[in-house]
Parts: sequence; C-alpha cells; structure tokens
Amino acid sequence: MARTVLCACEDVTLEEVRRAFAEGHRDLESVKRYTGFGTGPCQGKSCLAAVAGELLRLGATPAEIAPFTARPPLQPTPLALLATADPGALPLDPGVPPPAAGPRPRPQGGPLPERARVVIVGGGIMGLGLAYQLCRRGERDVLVLEAGYLNAGASGRNGGGVRAQWSTPTMIRLARRSLALCRSFAADMGVNVWFRPGGYLFLAPTAEQVARLERNAALHRAHGLATRVIDPEEAARIVPELDRRRFLAASWNPDDGVVFPWPFLWGYASRAAALGARIRTFTRVTGFEREGRRLTAVRTDAGRVTCEVVVNAAGAWSKEVAALAGVPLPNRPTRHEILVTEPLKPWLGPLVSVLGNGLYFSQSQRGELVGGMGDPDEPEGVVSGSTLRFLSRFARAALECVPRLAGVKVVRQWAGCYDVTPDNNPVLGAAGFDNFLQLSGFVGHGFMMAPAVTEAMAAWMTGGEEDEIFRRFTLARFERGETAREDFIIG
Amino acid sequence: MPRLPEPRFVPDCAILVDGVEVPARAGESVAVALVAAGRPLVSRSYKYHRPRGPFCLAGSCGSCLARVDGQPSLRTCRVACRDGLRVETQNAFPSARHDLLAVVDRATPHGLDHHHLLTSPVALNRVVVEVSRRLAGLGRLPDRAPGPFPAATLETFDALVVGAGPAGLGAAEALAAAGRRVLVAEQAPRAGGRLRAGLPLRGEPPLAWAAEVEGAVGRAGGELALATAALGLWRDGGSPIAALAAEAPPRLRLVRASVLVLATGGTAVPPVFPGNDVPGIFAGRALAVARAEHGLLPGARCLVLGEGEEAAAVAARLAGGGLEVVARPGPALLARGRARVRAVELAGERLRCDAVAWVTPPAPAAELARELGARLELLPALSAFAVAVDAEGRTGVPGLFAAGEVTGPLDGAAAAAAGRRAGEAALRG
Ligand SMILES: Cc1cc2nc3c(=O)[nH]c(=O)nc-3n(C[C@H](O)[C@H](O)[C@H](O)COP(=O)(O)OP(=O)(O)OC[C@H]3O[C@@H](n4cnc5c(N)ncnc54)[C@H](O)[C@@H]3O)c2cc1C
Ligand code: FES
Repeated sequence: MARTVLCACEDVTLEEVRRAFAEGHRDLESVKRYTGFGTGPCQGKSCLAAVAGELLRLGATPAEIAPFTARPPLQPTPLALLATADPGALPLDPGVPPPAAGPRPRPQGGPLPERARVVIVGGGIMGLGLAYQLCRRGERDVLVLEAGYLNAGASGRNGGGVRAQWSTPTMIRLARRSLALCRSFAADMGVNVWFRPGGYLFLAPTAEQVARLERNAALHRAHGLATRVIDPEEAARIVPELDRRRFLAASWNPDDGVVFPWPFLWGYASRAAALGARIRTFTRVTGFEREGRRLTAVRTDAGRVTCEVVVNAAGAWSKEVAALAGVPLPNRPTRHEILVTEPLKPWLGPLVSVLGNGLYFSQSQRGELVGGMGDPDEPEGVVSGSTLRFLSRFARAALECVPRLAGVKVVRQWAGCYDVTPDNNPVLGAAGFDNFLQLSGFVGHGFMMAPAVTEAMAAWMTGGEEDEIFRRFTLARFERGETAREDFIIG
Repeated sequence: MPRLPEPRFVPDCAILVDGVEVPARAGESVAVALVAAGRPLVSRSYKYHRPRGPFCLAGSCGSCLARVDGQPSLRTCRVACRDGLRVETQNAFPSARHDLLAVVDRATPHGLDHHHLLTSPVALNRVVVEVSRRLAGLGRLPDRAPGPFPAATLETFDALVVGAGPAGLGAAEALAAAGRRVLVAEQAPRAGGRLRAGLPLRGEPPLAWAAEVEGAVGRAGGELALATAALGLWRDGGSPIAALAAEAPPRLRLVRASVLVLATGGTAVPPVFPGNDVPGIFAGRALAVARAEHGLLPGARCLVLGEGEEAAAVAARLAGGGLEVVARPGPALLARGRARVRAVELAGERLRCDAVAWVTPPAPAAELARELGARLELLPALSAFAVAVDAEGRTGVPGLFAAGEVTGPLDGAAAAAAGRRAGEAALRG
C-alpha cells in the first residue's frame, strides 16, 4: 500500500491529516492531538515541517501552524539516567513563560453571535460536558468560549485516571456515576475514549496510611465498591514488577481505570454542536458587563455577547475570570507536572499511586507509561513551564517503586495546573451575581468528576433535581466555615 | 557490494540480528551495519506495521528503532556495534521481514480511524479496547537496568555551544581565542556537522578545521564533548540549565553557562510522496557522511533526488566504488517496494533503484531555542520555523545566541562566519 506517511513514528498519513482538517482541527496543536503526529519518539523533529506544509496548503495561517511547545527531553532518555540528577540541586522554578504573544490563530467555529442565553467560559471538559448536557435537556442556546484550542487546559494535560476510591460518600457517588458514563461514553457519543478498567492500586508505605486505607475501604464497601486492602504479595500478583519492600499494604479496586482524555472533549463538543450549541475556540473572555446583581454581557477579544447566564468553567483560570467580574475566589491554581515514556507492549494493568510522595503512573492505551508527581514546594500560580527537577524527582520515585523501569525512556514532559481550593472540594453555584455560576476548583480530579458533575449541573440549571453538591459546595461555605476537607488527593 | 573496497572498511566483528550474524565494524552504528549488510528494514511501524528503516542516520527521525541488548526501542543509528551485540527487531510477528500483522496495512487503504472505530455497542467496544491495547506499544519492558550511571555532575562553563558543525565551531573558536572556557556539546560521535559529508561545496572550511578548534578549546580550559546530546534547556533555579547525555561512558552532565550558543543545525526532513517511508530512502547528507566515514554503499543503484548545488555534490560524492548513481531534481510521484525501495516513479519516467538519497534543506533544529522562549520565524519554502536572530546571532533572550542552519538555510562558509560573529558578540556581552 503506497501511503504518504507524514509522521513515521506514529504512522500518520497525509490522508489522515487532511481528514482531521476537514473535521475542523485546523491548527497544528489540534491536529497533533487528533492525529497523534509528533507525539512519538522523534518528538516531531522530522514531521513538523511536513504537517505544517500540508496545513498551509489547506489554508491555515502561519499563527495556526506555529510549532507546538517543545517538550523535553529532546531524545528518549532512560529514567535511570534522569534519576542521577539530584533534585536538591535543582531549585523549583516556574519554568519558561510562553513566548510573547505573536499573531494569534483566528477564532474558529464561526462569527461570534450577538446574544446567547447561556455563555460558558472555558472549553475544557467541564464547559463542554455542561454544554452537551444542557443541550440534551433542551437548553440549546448555549455558547462556549474557549481562549485556545480544545484540550489547551488541564483537560488536555491530565493523567486520565478515573477512580471511585474516595474518602467521602459524595465523592464516591459522583465518581461511580462518572465511571458508568465513561464505560458507555464511546457507544453514547460515537468516539473512542479507550476506557480501560485496569483498577487503581494505592500503595501505603506507613502504618498510618494503611489505617487510612482500611477506613476508606470500609466506607467503599458500604457504598457498593469492590475495594479491598491487600498485602504486598497480592499486590505483586497484580503488578509483579513492584518492589514489595516499599509498602506495607495496598488498596485495590479493580473497577477503577484510565481513559484517553482528549476524545472526551471532541465527543462532547461535536454532540453539543450537533444539538445546537455554538463553540468558539481561540476566543478569550476579557470582561463582563453588569447591571445590579446580574451580568448582562460577556466581552471577548472577538466581540461582545449579551447573555442571561454565565458559567465560569475556566479551570485553573477561574479565579482570573471571576476577578474580571470583581468576584474573589479562594482557588489557588498550582502547577502539576507529568511525563510519558516510550510506548511498550502491555505490562501494567492498574494505575499505581504511592501515598505520601504523590507519585502515580499508569500505562496508556498506546503503551506509554503516563506518570506525575506533585511537588510540595510548588507555589501558587498559573504556570505551565517544565522543570528538570520534576524529571529527576519522578525518575527516583518511580524506580524505587518499580526498579524494572530503569531502562524505560522518557519522551515528553509537560505541565498543567491543578485548581486547588482550601478544602479540596469544588466551587459550585452562583457567586457574586445571581446569574454567574461557578464550576471550578476540581484540584487534580476534575476530569473524572466532569461527566457526573456536568450532568447534575445541567439538571439543576434547567429546573430539574438539585443535587446536594449545589448546596454544599457554594462559595459562601468558606465564609461560614462549613468546610469538610477531601484528603484523598493524588499528587 | 555493501562497502567501498578499502582495508579500513573491512568488517571486524559480527552483531546478532534476530539471532543471525551480520558483519560489522566495531564502533560504527548498528544502522550502518544493517544497511551495509543489505537489510535496511529494521522494524515494523507502530500502527500499520509498515516496514521501517533508517532515514536520517543521525538520531533524529526515530525510524530505526530496535531492541538492543535487552533495551527496547533504541535508535540503532546511535548504538555502536561490538562483537556479539544482540539486536532484535520489534513490533513484528513472527519477524520484521514477514510480519503477519501487516494485514492491518492492507485492510485499511484509507487509514485507520481509531477515533471512530467500532464505538458501539458497549460490549464490542470493550473488545476493541482490549485487542487494540495488545497491538499497540513498540518494545517490551527492558530485561535489565542500563548503566550503572554515575551521579550527574553539575558543571559551570563560560559558554556552552550546542553543535559542532561549522557554526558551532566558529563560535567556539572565537570564544576560546579570547580565553573563555567553552563546552562544545556534539551529539554525533565526530565533530564537523555537515563538513563530515566531504562535499566539496564552495568556501566550506575543511574538516581538519574541527581538530584545530578542538585544540584551541582545550587550551583555553574548555572541552569538545562528542557523542554528547543536549536533552533540553530548563530554567530550574532561575537561570538556564542544560542537561547533556554523554554516551561514552554513559552519564548525565548538568551545565550552567552565562552564554549559550545554539548551533544545532537542521534536521533532515523526509520527502512527501506515496511510498515515502519505504526502507532504503535516506537523507542525502547522511549517506555522504556514512560513505566518508564507513565506506557505506546504500545499495547497487542509488537515485539522488533533489535540486541545486548540494544535490549535485551529493550525487558526485556517492558515485563510484561500485555504486551506480542517477540524479533527478524530482518531484517524485511514487516509491515502490516493500522491504526496500525497488523503483521510483517521476513524471514520465520510472527509475529502478535500491536506494534513494533525498537532498533538501534541513528544517532548523530550533527545539532548544523554543524551550527558552526565543522568537521563531516561518520559512515558507520549508514550512518550518527558524530561530529569529539579529546580524550577531542574538535571539532576544539574554545570553542566548543562535547561528548556522538553526536560523535558516545557509551554506557551510556562511554558517561558520555566523558562528564566529555570534561568538564575538557573546564576548562583548
Ligand atoms: C498534570 C495533571 C494531571 C491530572 N490528572 C488527572 C487525573 O488523572 N484524573 C482526573 O480526573 N483529573 C486529573 N487532573 C485534573 C483535571 O485535568 C482537571 O481537573 C480538569 O481537566 C478540569 O477541567 P476544566 O474543564 O475545569 O478545566 P480546563 O480543562 O483547564 O479548561 C478550562 C479552559 O478555560 C479556558 N480559558 C481560560 N481563561 C479563559 C478566558 N478568559 N476566556 C475563555 N477561555 C478561557 C482555558 O483555555 C481552558 O481550555 C489532572 C490535572 C493535571 C494538570
Ligand atoms: S533516528 Fe536513526 S535513522 Fe533516524
């Protein structure tokens, strides 16, 4: 078969690039995500020019084909080599800010309408999931405004972990609903999300953490989960490569799993659009107009839209967006770094997470190890630069856990932001204005919460059932001091 | 005949490829040994299980991956041969040459739309997820740990020059002449960059100049580090820090320097036409280098595709010694062949050949500059982005200079001059 292969690492052909363009993925970042080009071991070195050339021929502008952010390391590098750097000698730094804004890609999706009943700020999984769920319930005059491409925010940068192992009944309930929606997402939405229930394995290195896992497991069982606390021998039957000297016990739920995040956004976006929602990418919200206790219009860099309801679903930027309306949120956006390795044949079933040091990793559908690790010293700030410190911290922690990974090579690192709140629970409901609804503060687990939370929010917004979360997780709880901390956070 | 008939190119050892002995020369790359042995097919591709073989011979294209010594997906063009080295082809069943899974390629003439493949019903989709997971992935987990590696060193130099092609050498020479301690990091096992191809191009400095620069750098307390690849530039601690992977002995070097000169040149870009990924299509410069250094003849009849002075020089350099060379400006319409190229079709013509040398200006290797936020500019003819610099190689990022082909196509003489200017500008601060 004489194919024209533009990306030899990932086997992406000219025909596939053209199809992606025809389906509306018109800038290089979007085409990269949709086709997978440039994400293989060569890092886009040999295919970038070929794909950019084709997009130019198809009508893209130079701003739309600007190279994607360079993702170190430049060559596949064994974890064992990265582990030789001492993280203590690598002080934390925000990394390199993105280059000063050059020409921006054109707004996509059509001209900005003059009015829309519901304007959703942010086209991440929250914003798009909500748009779809509103449309399904008959509220179709919905406009989603996204500053970048779809998947530009945390929704396009996360680990894809979906679990029901939480420490409060509310979170367990929401997560179970999300897991059910993940299982049928491909069938319901017509796009593969590669949901793979390989389980979640939490490793507890100390007796205190074992006790915590046991408390949680009891709660889980009371809520119908299959969670069990198992000994290192049994954990090693699930992942034989684990170094069992490193933990005392593990908590295991075989029904948790991992997904491939990006297609969720494409699925929600295309189904919402088919039902009438309008989605405008490369359109940034720059301010609001108000009258008394209501927001009356949304200003953007592409024009102004009058509206009846505004939803702030801007993820880690929610605080910034709320500030545009003069509403202070207590959210603290915090960088979280992550990496992937070369693709390997299947060897790892579950997502493994180590309590205490924030390490987690799983194997993606494509075979890569996807892993991250929080840094306790990370300051607040919306930054997405990468650090060498993270590479060495991750490598050291991962090799302690699975020594067999020593020769596995890292091919790409990047960062996104957690949207952290004082009690690790979200901020929902109206804030500051009667028609300014919040949908933020999902820390490091918003992806798995989104299917369930957006469904509940659409029901609540369209006069259906009011889930307790819209009473409990209001902004006002922080003033009233009615907070209950969720502590089962990874990273 | 796989190699030039000269005593220095006679194989002196054998590597084991899927258990079969392949003659090689100790120290040359596995990819070169495989091509010399007439088997440019190294592995199968990720999705369609198409035959894959080396293209760039310089570590950038990623199409020469194999399992070596129990480590998965190594770039065989960067692994040195030694007697008995075990090489295994990957992602193929039963072998890279006869891979039953290549049925995926034949069954999907218009590509595999994995996003919309069998999404419903739920039960079927679960099967698809399981099956495709087994087909995905390239290598298997490593058999054992590589290394051991010593603890990474943290080093300080007056200047770090990345790349020892004409631009990097020019910059290093200027800096060393003023007594600066310079570290020149070059990922290839030899200095010279494109000068290694031995193409007699107008005004290009001779390759021997590299040795002179190495001497000058050493006398000023610096070092020319070969087989040392820059993995990236970060800002941990507020100022740029480079991580370099040295191959022999393998170790990580962390380097801070107040002056950084990026002279990373360009990346060979594969051609775009149907059949462009058939093994046996190589970057022209890479073939010229491999002939000069290893006596490699890529086949019996090689088509040199490309326009301009460099294409003519490559054709002249490759011809002879048992290799028949035909040169055409292109455009090529189709390459035929499976395990290796058999013929190339051009407008009104079908040329039989078992190797192709593709000559085109390389795309600027601008990744390191991008990591530090330097401004780039589009080169419309190449649809690639080059590092934007002023006449003295300043990028606008304090302390960061760039020179040579990383700033756009220019010839070897001009690259050397640009490197020198950047080095001199760096001295002035
Ligand atoms: C590295 C990492 C790993 C993670 N791992 C997991 C995991 O395994 N499982 C899990 O469930 N969650 C995980 N998370 C968390 C999860 O990704 C997020 O909680 C979730 O994606 C949040 O979705 P969102 O739609 O609220 O935000 P986002 O996806 O960030 O979307 C917000 C959007 O708003 C846009 N925007 C911002 N300002 C404006 C403006 N002024 N105008 C218009 N648009 C604007 C942004 O461009 C962005 O696209 C992880 C997060 C990170 C960073
Ligand atoms: S990476 Fe080895 S041939 Fe290109």
